[in-house]
Amino acid sequence: MTRSFLLATAVLLPASLLAILIALAFGSVAIAPADLLAVVAGDGSRLHDTLVLELRLPRALAAFAAGGLLGLAGALMQVLLRNPLADPYVLGLSGGASVGALLAMLAGLSMFSVSLAAFAGALLSTVIVFGLAHGTGSWTPTRLLLTGVVVAAGWGAMISFLLAVSPTAELPGMLYWLMGDVSHARNPYPAWIVLVLVVLLALPLGRTLNVLARGPMQAAALGVAVRPVEWSIYIAAALITATAVMQVGAVGFVGLIVPHMLRLIFGNDQRVILPASALGGGILLTLADTLARTMIAPEQLPVGVITAMLGVPVFLFLLYRSR
Amino acid sequence: MLYRSRLVLALLATCALLVSPASHADTDAVSVTDDTDRQVRLEAPATRIVSLAPHITEVLFAVGAGDKLVGVTQHSDFPPEAERIPRIGGYSRIDLERVVQLDPDLVVAWRSGNSASQIERMRELGLNVYVSEPRSFEGVASSMRRMARLAGTEDQGQVAVQAFLDEIETLRLDYEDRAPVRLFYQVWEQPLMTVNDEHLISEAIRLCGGVNVFGHLDRLVPRMDREAVIEADPEVIIGGGMGEDRPDWVLAWEQWEDMTAVQRDNLYFIPPSLLQRHTPRIAEGTRLMCEELERARSRRTD
Repeated sequence: MTRSFLLATAVLLPASLLAILIALAFGSVAIAPADLLAVVAGDGSRLHDTLVLELRLPRALAAFAAGGLLGLAGALMQVLLRNPLADPYVLGLSGGASVGALLAMLAGLSMFSVSLAAFAGALLSTVIVFGLAHGTGSWTPTRLLLTGVVVAAGWGAMISFLLAVSPTAELPGMLYWLMGDVSHARNPYPAWIVLVLVVLLALPLGRTLNVLARGPMQAAALGVAVRPVEWSIYIAAALITATAVMQVGAVGFVGLIVPHMLRLIFGNDQRVILPASALGGGILLTLADTLARTMIAPEQLPVGVITAMLGVPVFLFLLYRSR
Repeated sequence: MLYRSRLVLALLATCALLVSPASHADTDAVSVTDDTDRQVRLEAPATRIVSLAPHITEVLFAVGAGDKLVGVTQHSDFPPEAERIPRIGGYSRIDLERVVQLDPDLVVAWRSGNSASQIERMRELGLNVYVSEPRSFEGVASSMRRMARLAGTEDQGQVAVQAFLDEIETLRLDYEDRAPVRLFYQVWEQPLMTVNDEHLISEAIRLCGGVNVFGHLDRLVPRMDREAVIEADPEVIIGGGMGEDRPDWVLAWEQWEDMTAVQRDNLYFIPPSLLQRHTPRIAEGTRLMCEELERARSRRTD
């Protein structure tokens, strides 16, 4: 474990810094490397200062934190459900958040209230999925996953309904939110605090999670309090998904592909995979957002389009190879 | 005598020139209230303007401030000179980096088109943002006046506003009291969309003596069922669409042979750029509409 942990740290930490640096260096306005250095050194021109420090930096930090949260949420849910398909998007959390956000937009509330409504939607979806999957009997992962998929489909229908009855003027904003968009993320720091806290809390639990990943019977036999652990994972996953979605809208695939790729490289040890997924998700979303800002500039793409375009082929390739 | 009065004038002008530098700051500052009731104050009339919507670009050109535009959104295609101005992204997602790089002293935004959070962001970055949201002919005229004031082109702006209001008034006198014509205005085919009486297009319809058959609906741009249109049986159908050419779906109504509009061949098209944009060109679109309603009246048999 220590070796792969060190390896992951040695690879992913510098890569994270590099990703943020790339996000600072590229945009629709070209800034020469020398000018970028000047900004970092504190004597950039007023224009470059504004571009790098006030536009690019908060946005890169927001993208990194949200990506990290989504990667972490995916990793946690895959352990919990013992199913590689689990991801906040598949389980309907993002759908619930989207419905909350669209309702708030329809009511003409401020961006802050839209974020809160998204948060509430994600939590509501969690309660519904868990409540229903639990039912009268015990919850099996399959049942939970199926419930999640069906609830997600239900949210999808609600989203279509809201889009159909919304005023035409509201539609562009709503569509961008649904496709995921970092441009309206304002203050990245709350997301960072949640990210760091959850990683720190999850690290000591790594051993327990490793046992749990083998199945609840074995875990119980080895002295793990299965039910409380499962509940806390789900609540943690719901909270961090809601925090991420509140920042960047419904971005898919980060929680799905990042833990998968990292498992291929570093092995399936949760003590490594959880922090690595946080860093990997951050790197992926930061780079994807840089692409979204620059690919067809001055037109801006929603970042969810990029993650999906990268995510689908990568995931299919992983699946194909794993046979 | 004439010579002497000229001399006096010249002296007065010189005095004015001498005096003006002292009061420079006060006399040059311009201040207007935008459509969100926010005060926009500039130390001096704007010289570098960024427009965040095609119709705003058009209005700025109309009031003589076109040469002060340094950035416009995609699809700012009128007047043709606008095509040469640097682009700053689509109106629903602005490329903020480009805007900041252009260093504008005035940004004119569109309330129902631009993202509220991006407008907020621009204010935080220290930009002067004027938010525009004209909803009526009077709103178009007042937008023109205020934008001209901010750009320091009030004289040219006043001429343009007067010409616009005169043309509207002429149409009103000619057509408003003519026999009512029930009409269906089709914004789009899939989904089938129209407008209600709150919409600017309905002001043009009323001014021409028309009656919007779906004016009573609640939503500004209601989505319709074809059955409802057939049941309403309008005397005239006017199509909009997207481009400058008549879309095929206007003539597609001909398959409903029992409709009055079809029997009297009252299927018309007015370029949406003349009727759906909140610019002085709407006077031209309104004139076309009035003429077509007049044609429809001439086709009445009884």
